[in-house]
This record gives sequence, structure tokens and C-alpha cells, in this order.
Amino acid sequence: MDWEAQLKLQAYLDGELPEAERRRLEATLAQGGQSSLLLAELRQTREVLAGFEKGIQMPESREFFWSKIEREIRRQESPARVPAPVSWAARLRRLLVPASTVALLAIAGFLTIRNDGSSLLPGGTEMETALTDTGAFTYRDYSAGTTLVWLSYPAENEPDDDEDAVTLQ
Amino acid sequence: MTENNHSSADDPALVRAAQQGEMEAFEELLGRHRDKIFARAYSMMRNEEEAIDLSQEAWVKGWQRLRQFQGEASFGTWMTRIVINLCLDQIRRQKRHRTESIEELDEASGGVERQMPVVIVNPTSGLERAELRQRIDRALGQLSYEHRTVLVLHEFEEMEYKEIARTMDCSIGTVMSRLFYARRKLAALLADLKKQD
Repeated sequence: MDWEAQLKLQAYLDGELPEAERRRLEATLAQGGQSSLLLAELRQTREVLAGFEKGIQMPESREFFWSKIEREIRRQESPARVPAPVSWAARLRRLLVPASTVALLAIAGFLTIRNDGSSLLPGGTEMETALTDTGAFTYRDYSAGTTLVWLSYPAENEPDDDEDAVTLQ
Repeated sequence: MTENNHSSADDPALVRAAQQGEMEAFEELLGRHRDKIFARAYSMMRNEEEAIDLSQEAWVKGWQRLRQFQGEASFGTWMTRIVINLCLDQIRRQKRHRTESIEELDEASGGVERQMPVVIVNPTSGLERAELRQRIDRALGQLSYEHRTVLVLHEFEEMEYKEIARTMDCSIGTVMSRLFYARRKLAALLADLKKQD
């Protein structure tokens, strides 16, 4: 039997052969021979497999299996915590605070030191910045007896309301 | 729907309840179909742990996609198709990491099934159902993934050739060839097991 004839025999068994070919093949099968034997073997294999899966059972109990599935469903359904999008105003503020600090430091430096190294500030005055808060400047004039504290608010190390916000997905 | 109602309700009613978000209804559906879904995964993968994991994944996906289920097929069939697709994905992943099996090489080089002698005597006659199942199990385990999958989809899922070709992304000719090989190989393996007794 050639390869094509063998596959046709199988298609006949599976009901996938067109009507005309089916009748032709049945005529050949009626004569017996190798094709009849092969068809019997294919049919036998098909019958052996029938009902095979019915005997297979899930080895885990229903309760245990369901508990795993339920947990996974709930895990996948629980909303993910994502940071809120930062508003343009907050972004601008974050940019301006350090920029203004740098600018003020530069101005203070320019006012304090002359080209020849001597101070421009009159005696008895000083300007300082707190390292922990770069947005705060203190200006003291001992002769006038005044102290001026300049705050760039909000300070950089203070919590930003927007940063702590979360949204549900 | 109460718990008693769940156990007495038919599948379509349970599906409707589950689509409304009733997890108890879905649990009842799981109780009814879990063996079938596991059996299909096991037939394809031949590994109990993998079959459990893939069944679990199928049920989770089933819940997530339940709103898409329109009832064109039965719920059991719909779930079975989900697990089959997951198994096929897994097989494709595994295939990338292994070399071709001997069976595949045989198929490519002309197919030994064309020359195999026909098995005339029924190799399973006189066997108890449990013993028969064991033998089939061992024989199926000796087939390559490709041949076993075609056999499972055709014999257990009752898919037509063109449906298998679509599912496995191959030609109808390949499906016919693999199915023929799988059947002939299985017959020979069962005959060998009988001789060994």
C-alpha cells in the first residue's frame, strides 16, 4: 500500500473522506487484503483509547485545589499601588526650589567677596545657609541688630502631598 | 443563589451566576469539571505536577474570561479549550529547549510507520480496565509531544483534521501523517507490552 492509500484509509475511518472516494475505498476493502488488516488495526487502537481519560482524576481535593485558585484570582484582582502622576505645578516647584537656592548662593557669594577678596558686607553682618535645609537663609546685621530669615517654601526635604498620594488602578 | 441551589443548578445557570461575580457558582463548576480538565492536561503533558499547574492556570483564566463566554459550546468544552491552549503554549516553550525526538526524526526521514507490520491480535484483550489504562498510559508516554497531542485532540477532544491543524498551526497533511504515526506506534507499543507479559 502506498502512503497516500494508507492516509486515505485513516481518513475513511475518521469520517473525513469525501463521499465519492469513500465508495471507491469501500469497494477495495470488500476485496480484503492488506488495507482491511490495516483498517482493523487503526479501528482497534481507536477503540482502546475510548474512555481512557474518564479514569483520570485530579489528585488534589476539591477544597484544596479551589483554595489555590481562589487565592490566585484574588491576588490578580487586588489593585496594584502605583504612584500618582506628578502635576506640572509640582514639577515646576521641584525645579525652581533648587534653582532659586543656587541663584541666591551665587548672589550671596558675589556680595560677600570682592575681586580682591575683601568682603562687600559692612562689618558686623553675616549671611548663612542651613545645610540641612538649603531653602533657608539667615541674614544678620549685628550693627542694626536685625536678623532676617528667608525661607524658600515648601522646603525640599518636606513631604510633598502629591508624592504620598496613590490611586487605584 | 444559595449553596443548595448551586449544587442543583445546571451549568448555564451557574455560568450566569458566576458572570455576575458569584465565586461559589464558579467553584461548583470547578467541582464538576476539574477531573476532565486535569485529565486533558495530563494526557498532553504526561506530568502530574505540570498538569495540576496548567489546570489551575486554566481555571484562573476561565474566571477572568468568563464574561466573554457566550455559550456557543458547553462550559466544559470551553474550559477544555483553554487548558489545551495552555498546554500547547507550554509544549512550544519546552520544545525550544530540547532537541528533536527520535520519533520526529523518523517522521522527517520517511516515517517508519509506513513499514510497520500490522498488529492483528488485540493486544488489550482480557485486560482489566485499570491494567489497560496503565498500559495505554505507558504507551502514550513513549510518543513524542507532537504525535501525542494530535492523538489527544482527535481521539479525546474529537477535533476534525482542519481544527487540529488550526490549533497546532500546521498543515492538514501534517496532522494526518502525525495521527497515522501515533496510532500505528501506539498499536505496536501495546503489542510489545503484551509480549513482555
